Amino acid sequence: MGGLVKGGVEDVRTAARGWRWGRRSLVPRSAEAHTLAKESSVFPTAWSRRRPAKAIREVVQQGGLRPLFRSQVSPHVEGLDMLGRVEPPVLFVANHASHLDTPLILLSLPDEWRRITAVAAAADYFFDTWWRAVGSALVFNTFPIERRGGSLAATPGDVLHDGWNLVVYPEGTRSVDGWVGSFRLGAAWLAVEHQVPVVPVAHRGTFAAMPRGQGWPSRGRKPVTVRFGPALRPAEGESARDFAPRIRSAVATLLDEDRSTWWEARRRAAAGAIPDPSGPDVATWRRVWAQTESPRPQAGIPRRRAWRR
Amino acid sequence: MSRPGFVLEVDDRTPPLVVHEGEGFRLEEFPLGTHVVYPPESMPGVPDVDEAIQRALLHPEGSEPLPELLRAGMRLTIAFDDISIPLPPMRKPDIRQRVIEAVLTMAADAGVDDVQLIAANALHRRMTDAELKDIVGERVFRSFHPQGLLYNHDAEDRSNLLHVGMTDQDEDVEINRRAAESDLLIYVNVNLVAMDGGHKSVPIGLASYKSLRHHHNSKTMVRSHSFMDPEKSHLHHSAWRMGRMLADHLKIFTIETTMNNEVFPKPYDFLLKREWEWSVKDQASMLAVRRGLSVAPGKLRHKMFHDLRAPYGITGVHAGETEAVHAKTLANVHRQQMVEVQGQSDVLVLGVPYLGPYNVNSVMNPILATCMGLGYYFNSYRGQPVVRRGGAVILYHPVKPDFNQLHHPSYVDFYEEVLAESTDPAVIEAKHEEAYATDPWYVHLYRTSYAYHGVHPFYMWYWAAHAMDHVDDVVWVGGDRRAVSRLGFRAATTLSDALEMVSGTVGSSPSITYLHNPPHLIADVR
Repeated sequence: MGGLVKGGVEDVRTAARGWRWGRRSLVPRSAEAHTLAKESSVFPTAWSRRRPAKAIREVVQQGGLRPLFRSQVSPHVEGLDMLGRVEPPVLFVANHASHLDTPLILLSLPDEWRRITAVAAAADYFFDTWWRAVGSALVFNTFPIERRGGSLAATPGDVLHDGWNLVVYPEGTRSVDGWVGSFRLGAAWLAVEHQVPVVPVAHRGTFAAMPRGQGWPSRGRKPVTVRFGPALRPAEGESARDFAPRIRSAVATLLDEDRSTWWEARRRAAAGAIPDPSGPDVATWRRVWAQTESPRPQAGIPRRRAWRR
Repeated sequence: MSRPGFVLEVDDRTPPLVVHEGEGFRLEEFPLGTHVVYPPESMPGVPDVDEAIQRALLHPEGSEPLPELLRAGMRLTIAFDDISIPLPPMRKPDIRQRVIEAVLTMAADAGVDDVQLIAANALHRRMTDAELKDIVGERVFRSFHPQGLLYNHDAEDRSNLLHVGMTDQDEDVEINRRAAESDLLIYVNVNLVAMDGGHKSVPIGLASYKSLRHHHNSKTMVRSHSFMDPEKSHLHHSAWRMGRMLADHLKIFTIETTMNNEVFPKPYDFLLKREWEWSVKDQASMLAVRRGLSVAPGKLRHKMFHDLRAPYGITGVHAGETEAVHAKTLANVHRQQMVEVQGQSDVLVLGVPYLGPYNVNSVMNPILATCMGLGYYFNSYRGQPVVRRGGAVILYHPVKPDFNQLHHPSYVDFYEEVLAESTDPAVIEAKHEEAYATDPWYVHLYRTSYAYHGVHPFYMWYWAAHAMDHVDDVVWVGGDRRAVSRLGFRAATTLSDALEMVSGTVGSSPSITYLHNPPHLIADVR
């Protein structure tokens, strides 16, 4: 009997470790090309935008997520004044480097904006199991968006039409090295199709704080910055294909502004010398290395301390 | 749409992998970088098996349609593969039953009276009545068996053997007299692996020791690279010479069937899936099966495995002239089992499961485990062996010195007397084979009981001769130390120990390839 229990415990341990119980299962790298794409299942999320869910979300975000987030990272927010110049609904279009990006953006927004902001999340990642889908929809107000094409329970257009702002990551996935990848046309297409403004959002430091593959932020309350830019509107007759580069350029300018100053970034933008947000063409380790360094918000301006030394 | 096979490279994301070891399996964590060869997923079976059989019989390859070959007053013999294939046995109805019923329906329509059915068991044990009935079905069994018209081939019944002649390489061709003197011999085959079928069916399945010894010997097996590749197999070259000669002597109508890789029924179907794709249910099934096996008494564990009936799908039925049929059959087998592998490795890892061709409803003794691992699995390649010459093979099996006295009496003596003296296939062949092959007691048991022929353990040992010749080290993980030592090999407790033991041969960081079977696969090594 003892052997049975011992063997059983050992087997359960082996299975828990091997199949990553409680965490997302992984496919061996060499098997990725031989893995079938998961069939997209339509997960309804309309409930998460109704009053009861909104009330629960408010409690969870304010009472749990916000203090937890602030206990793990040190956020620095700029550019919220831009929101005063635009009316919802808008598309918040941001670069994507970490799972911290969504709470960073949501918790940076003024409450009246945050409460009416939903997040477009990958259907094959956040909606692959019911508990993950319910959790993310409830806490972050996510709805599924198909990265490979397919049917959706609530299209982004419907959500916009109901007056909700959307957070969209046009890269489609988190950056593998912290630098900005190419932007897909989805966000630009939504803006053009539904004639909603795009608020570019740039953030830095989330890759350094919690890169891809890490389940929790690194110790030491690493600084993360987020900067909202002036809203962009598609010009009369402008196509999504033309609008998308403008959005990416706006995010790149914001990143540059966050690194330096608004004036310097403006001058570089005027000279067409904004640094490429996709980073230098150097060895992978150097790209990763550069992004593992946390940003120094407001370089040169001393941080105000609650307690003087 | 079934996915093709592929070679996995073990990385930090790879969960433990299933390795079969007798009546059980373990979850093994292979060293990073190990190559694991996965067979193609199960192909879909034909939607209507009976329709596929009819089409094959009415539109055969290189032959007139079967009804045109049948006439009143003719002598018709139907031979069929015995219980050694498929593995595991097929869920009812057996494909042989369906084919034989279709053939007999046509024969009845043509007014054929003189029909006999012979199980082509060569030197394998006779099948019991229940086993025969299991294969041919109740209708056929009731119609023929009570009259003595459905029976096992007897390779020692001199009065019912016919020496047809010699091949151009002086090989005796001696087969069942009834089959040889028939107006039409129909052979019903189940083609599980690439070595089956073709001219291996009639000239071997219905042959005598006198004929079999020309290709069932250590020299032929060492030179067959491999015997799973008929083009490179000296065993098959010999069988083909005999078959062509027989084809000149009598009319043979071959019917071959192929099946997919559905070898494990529920709830064991998780064993067919790639481990990283196991659902929570699959993981729970695995844990439950492992716990069940660990507490089950030996007899129950044996029953759990040996009662498995595979829900195979039939991927093809072809009939007609033997070689034309077999070309189509081989293409089907290759499509289901072939996996391209780049280059040889230093170490080959094989998990030997509970079942081989010669222990259906029986026990896999150490000699059969060797045959299964170093014979069938080692030879499951095309091109060149998966492991380099001078490399090492690591096998998983308990290798318990348990023997079924009813089925394998000569194996006991082979293990106790012959292997104690030498494990060299050529030496034991020269010194002991004839004595065992002609021993009256073994012959008596073969003919009247359910025993494998006296020479059969020798053949099993020859089956492994190519592997023994090719590699320098063989280690059995989890094997009984005394039994493994008797076989001339070494035993280890874990894979790490085994790799440590073979490090003298292949170094401390060898390249490793694990063939993830069952289900069956053929490594096409480039």
